[in-house]
Amino acid sequence: MSLRDGHNGAVGARIGESLRGKSGRTFWRSLDELAGTEDFRRFLEAEFPSIAPDAGSVNRRALLKIMGASLAMAGLAGCGGETDEEALPYVVAPENVIPGNPKWYATSVTFGGYAQPVLGKTHTGRPVKLEGNPDHPAAKGATDAFTQAALIGLYDPDRTKAPLHLGRATTWSTFDAAIREQAEKLDGTKGQGLRLLTGAVSSPTLQRQIGDLLRRWPNARWHAFEPAQETTRRDASRQVFGEPLDWHLRLDKAAVIVALDDDLLGPGPRQVHHGRMWSERRQAFHNGKAACTLLVAEPTPSLTGTMATERLVVPHARIAILLAAFAQALGLQSGVQAPLDEAAKAFAEHALERCRRNPGAALISVGAQHAAELQALALLVNERLGALGNTLGFTDPVIAEPPDGSASLEALVSDMSRGQVGTLLILDCNPAYTAPVDLDFADVIERVPLRLHAGLHHDETAALCHWHLPLQHDLEAWTDARAVDGTVGIIQPLVRPFYDVRSKHVLLENIAGRFDATDRDLVQATWRTAWGQDFDARWRDTLYRGFIPDSVLPEKAPTFNTNPITLPQPPKADGLTVLFRPDPTIWDGRFANNAWLQELPKPIGKIVWGNAVFIAPALAGKLEVENGNEVRVSQDGAAVTGPVWIVPGQEPDTIVLTLGYGRRISGEDIGGGLLHELGYDATPLRRAAGPWALAGAEIAVTGNHQDIASTQYHSAMDGYDFVRTVSAPDEQAAEKKKQPSFYPNRKWDSPSWGMSVDVDLCIGCNACVVACMAENNIPVVGKELVAMGREMHWLRIDRYHEGDPADPAMYFQPVPCMHCEQAPCEMGCPVNATTHSPDGLNQQIYNRCIGTRTCSSFCPYKVRHFNWFDYTADDPPETQAARNPDVTVRQRGVMEKCTYCVQRIREAQISAQKDGRILVDGDVRTACQQACPTQAISFGDVIDPESAVSRRKASPRDYTLLEEVNTRPRTTYLARITESVPGKAKS
Amino acid sequence: MPQIFTASADTRLRATALVIALAVVGAVLLGGGYMGSSYATLVGWVRHQPVPFSHEHHVGALGIDCRYCHTTVETSASAGFPPTHVCMTCHSQVWTGAPMLALVRQSLADNTPLRWNRVARLPDYVFFNHSIHVARGVPCVTCHGRVDKMPLMTRAHPFQMQWCLDCHRNPAPHLRPPDEITRMDWSAWDKDAAHKNYGALMVKAYGIQPSKLDACTVCHR
Repeated sequence: MSLRDGHNGAVGARIGESLRGKSGRTFWRSLDELAGTEDFRRFLEAEFPSIAPDAGSVNRRALLKIMGASLAMAGLAGCGGETDEEALPYVVAPENVIPGNPKWYATSVTFGGYAQPVLGKTHTGRPVKLEGNPDHPAAKGATDAFTQAALIGLYDPDRTKAPLHLGRATTWSTFDAAIREQAEKLDGTKGQGLRLLTGAVSSPTLQRQIGDLLRRWPNARWHAFEPAQETTRRDASRQVFGEPLDWHLRLDKAAVIVALDDDLLGPGPRQVHHGRMWSERRQAFHNGKAACTLLVAEPTPSLTGTMATERLVVPHARIAILLAAFAQALGLQSGVQAPLDEAAKAFAEHALERCRRNPGAALISVGAQHAAELQALALLVNERLGALGNTLGFTDPVIAEPPDGSASLEALVSDMSRGQVGTLLILDCNPAYTAPVDLDFADVIERVPLRLHAGLHHDETAALCHWHLPLQHDLEAWTDARAVDGTVGIIQPLVRPFYDVRSKHVLLENIAGRFDATDRDLVQATWRTAWGQDFDARWRDTLYRGFIPDSVLPEKAPTFNTNPITLPQPPKADGLTVLFRPDPTIWDGRFANNAWLQELPKPIGKIVWGNAVFIAPALAGKLEVENGNEVRVSQDGAAVTGPVWIVPGQEPDTIVLTLGYGRRISGEDIGGGLLHELGYDATPLRRAAGPWALAGAEIAVTGNHQDIASTQYHSAMDGYDFVRTVSAPDEQAAEKKKQPSFYPNRKWDSPSWGMSVDVDLCIGCNACVVACMAENNIPVVGKELVAMGREMHWLRIDRYHEGDPADPAMYFQPVPCMHCEQAPCEMGCPVNATTHSPDGLNQQIYNRCIGTRTCSSFCPYKVRHFNWFDYTADDPPETQAARNPDVTVRQRGVMEKCTYCVQRIREAQISAQKDGRILVDGDVRTACQQACPTQAISFGDVIDPESAVSRRKASPRDYTLLEEVNTRPRTTYLARITESVPGKAKS
Repeated sequence: MPQIFTASADTRLRATALVIALAVVGAVLLGGGYMGSSYATLVGWVRHQPVPFSHEHHVGALGIDCRYCHTTVETSASAGFPPTHVCMTCHSQVWTGAPMLALVRQSLADNTPLRWNRVARLPDYVFFNHSIHVARGVPCVTCHGRVDKMPLMTRAHPFQMQWCLDCHRNPAPHLRPPDEITRMDWSAWDKDAAHKNYGALMVKAYGIQPSKLDACTVCHR
C-alpha cells in the first residue's frame, strides 16, 4: 500500500476526531487506521488489495483476452507426465551419513564478535536450519532473527568467491607470493607500519594469534572497530573501578528494571540472553512467585518500551537529567541541576519508590549509546540500590580490548593521516561505510601504501583496498568465540567451503609469512595449550556440546573509587535531535545482502527493504508531511535525505535515522546484489564525538515522495479485541462459553495439536518469523510485491497501538494459522485442497490447489498467502541448497500457510513409533517455538491436560482471536498484563 | 413468411448434440484410460540404465538381501542407492574384467557417481518414509513387486494416490513379520491358516489407526 500513499490528507486532524467520543478501548495498527483513511479501508476490505484495479493497468476483460489461450490450456499443464530423474549415489559412502536423516552439529555463529550458539541441521553435508542450543547457559536454546538468517548468509550467491587484486580476480598462490615478500620486509623492521584492524574480537584463538603477531613484530599495532558496541560502559567502569569491565545485567533477578533509553530486549547480540532472563522472571510473575516491573524512559519506541509497565517519552538529552534526579534522590551528586517536568517527576518517583521497595532486586540501566559519565553515574546509583552482585555483575571484558580502547579507530585514522601506516589488514569489518563521517576513513586510507581487506563481500572498504580476500562464513569455518556471558564456543564447520575462501586465522598466519597451518590446527593449538593432557577428551566433549562448560569469565567484585561523577552539561535544546540506531534487521549494514532480513518487517515500523526518517506524529503535523514524503535532515552543512515514517510514541523533537542502508557500492560490485538503491545513508551526519546523537538538526520538506514498503496495513482483521489486556495474572481475559454451531461437533482424540501464544511475553523480536522462513522454504518476494501485500511470511507479528498517538501503549501479537476446528477456508475450497486432519491440523495440499483463492477470502485471520509468481524457479543453486528437503517448494498459483510444522510432527511420530515409544510432550517443537527467546510460544497436544500447551490454555488469561466468528481456533493467546499506572489514564 | 429452419435442422441439431455428448464421454474415458494405462503409470516399462543391473540375477539367483545394497531402508526415509564401493566389494573379485561393468570400475577410479535413472520414484510433494513401513512389516515386494524376477528393473505398481490409500485405509492384509521383510515369495505364508489374522492383530499390537493414516499431511507436507 505504502508505495502509493501520500494523499491521505489531514490524517492528524482526523485522528483527533476518531479518538474523541470513544468510550471503549481503541487499538490501532497505523495512524491511517486510526484516522480511518480510505487507503486503510481499501486494504481492510479488499481481500486481495494486490489485484485491486489500478489506474492504467490491464482491466479484467483485456486480461481475459490476453490470457484466453493460457487459461484454456491451463489444465493441460497437469498432463506432462513424469520427468525422468537421476539418482547419484556416493562412490564411497561417508561413515555415519544416512541420506534422508539429518545430522546435527553444535556450533555457533558470530554477531558483533559474540558467539550465538546454535545446533546446525545438515542433510548430506548441506546446512538447512539453525536451532538454538538448549544446553547453552546464556541462550538456553533460543536464537534471534540474525542468527536464524545466518544460514542464508552462508549461501549468499553474492559472496566473494575468489581473491581479488586491484579489482581483478586472482589466485591465492599469487597472494601468498606477494605476502611472503611483505612478511620478510616486516621481519626486518619488526613490523614497522603494520596495522591490523578487526571488528570486535572475542575469539581466544584470534586473540592468541594477534598477541603472537605483536610479540614477533613489536612495532605493529592492532586496532578494533565495531560500530555498535558498549564501549561507554567499559570506559565508565574504568572511571569508577579503575579497570575496564563488562556489565552483566541479571534481568532474571530484577524485580524492578529502570531502563533509561536502553533497549535491553531490542535487537543486538544480547537480545537472546536478556530476553530469556526477562522471560524467566516474567513467567515467575505469572505464577505469582515474583515481581517483574519494567520502567522505560526513551525518546523513540523500542521493544523494551513496548513491554514496559510504565513508559515515559523523554528527549535524548534529558536522560541525563532524569538519571541525575535518581542520583540526587539517593544522595549522589552529579553536577546537573535541572527541573523535571510533571510526567518525568512522576516517572522518577514511581521508579524510585519501586526500587526502594525491592532492595537488591532493582536495576537501573542507561543505554550504551549515552556518554561514559552517565554510565558511571548509573553504576553509583545501582550501588546505592544494592544492585551490584545481585542484579548487576561484572567480569573482565568478553570482547578483547584493543590497545587504544574505545578510541582505537581514531588512533588508526590519525596514524594513517600522518603516513605512519605502511600495511593495513582489515579483517572482517567495513569502516569505509560504518565509520563516522568526520574520521574521513575513505580518504585517509588512500595514504596507506598496501591495503588488504578480508571479508565476505566486496564492500565499500574492499573497494578501497589493493587486495580483497574472501573469508569463510562461520558455518564453514573452524574458529572460536565467546557468547555474551563469556562462555567459550568452539565453532566447527557444518559444510566444507564451497567458494575459494580462507579462514581469518589462516590469513593472520599468512600475514606472518606462514602458510602451512589449517584453521582447525590453529584453533586446536589454542586449546591444546590451555588443556594440556586432557586435550583430546575435552576437545571431543566440547565439539559435542558446542561450548566449553563452565567457561564463563569469573565474576569480579570491583571496588569503587569515590571520585564524584560530573555529568556533561546537556546541550541547549535548540532545534531537533537526531538519533542514530543500527537497523533492527540489517544492523550496521553487514546483513544488507541477506534477503530474509531485508524482507523482515522492522519490529516497530513494519517497513521492509529500506529505512526511513522516523519522526513523531506531532512533528509530522507541524511539517504537514505523510509517510513517504521526502525530507532533508541537515546540520552544519551535512545532510541526509529520505522519506519520513511517522512513529507514534516518539518524542516530538527527535528524529531517528537507522544505519545500514544507502550503500555506496553498486550492485555490480557484489554481483548484482540486493543493496541497489535501498534507503538512505545516515553516515554524513554521524560524528566520531557523538556517533549516536546529534543535537541542533534541522528538517525541511523537499516536496518529493519516496516509496516505502510496509506491511503494517496488510492482513488487517476486521473486528476488535485482537489484543486483550488484564490487570493481574489471574484475571479472566475472556468469557469462556462454547457458542452453538451448525457444524457437527467432532470428537478429538490424542494427540490433537494446538498452540498458545503469550502476548505478555512476546517482545516482537522476529526470531520466529525468520525461523519459519528457514524451516518452511518461504520465498522472498522483494520490495514492490511486499508493497502490494504479497509477502509470503506464514507467521506475521502484528503490532498494535492503543491510545494517544503521542504516547500509545504498544503490543505485539504473532499470528500464525489458527488451525480452526471449524475452519471457514475448508468450507470454501472447491477442490478439497484444504481439509482437516484427524489430529486437528488444517492441512493445505499444494498439489491439489488450483489457486481460486477462495480459502483466503474466507479466512477471517488473513493468514493465507498466494504464490502470485514462481518465486523459486530462478533461485541460484546456492540458495536452492538452503532449502529444507522435508517441505515442498511451492509452485506458482497455489495457496500456502502455516502448517504447525507438520513435517516435524510426522518426523517425531515416525521416530517414536520406530523406537516403540509414546510421543511425549515436548517431542514436537515448531520452528517458531524453538527460536523464541522468551518462550512466548507453546505447542503440543491440547487433549492431554498435562501438556505445557494445555496448562497455558487453562490460564484465565487465555482468549481466542475473533471469538465471535466461532471458528474455534487451535491457536489461542494469553492476554497481556498491564498494571494500571497511577496518574496515567487508559484511553 | 418463409421457413427459417429447413426440415432437417432438428435432426442436425440432435446429431450435433449427440456428437458433443459422445465426445465428452469419449474424452473422459480416454483420459481415464490414459491415466490408468501403463503409459502414464510407467508400470512394466524398462528404463535405460548406464549399467544393465539385473535384480533377477542378484536377488533371485544369488539370494543377496535387499538391504545389502539398499542399506538405509530401515533407518531413513530413503532406501538409498548403493555406493559404487558396494558394487565393487564383489566385483573387485568376480567379473573383474567384464566390459558390462566398465562404467562401475570407472566410477570408482574417477570418483564420479554412477547416474542411475530412477524407476520407483514419487513426485516431490510426496514424502514417503521407507523406515516406518519396514518397521511395521510392509514387505518390499508389496510396492516394488517381484524384483527377483526382473532382469531389468521396472515399476510393478502404479504409484498413484489411490493405490497408496488402498493400503493406508486397510493396512492389515499387507502386514508381514518385519524380520522377513525382504522375502519375495509370500505364497506359502499366505496359504498358512495360522497367519489369517496376523495383519489384524499386528494393526492392534502396533496401535496403527487407519482412520488417521489417510490424512493428507501423512504424505504431503
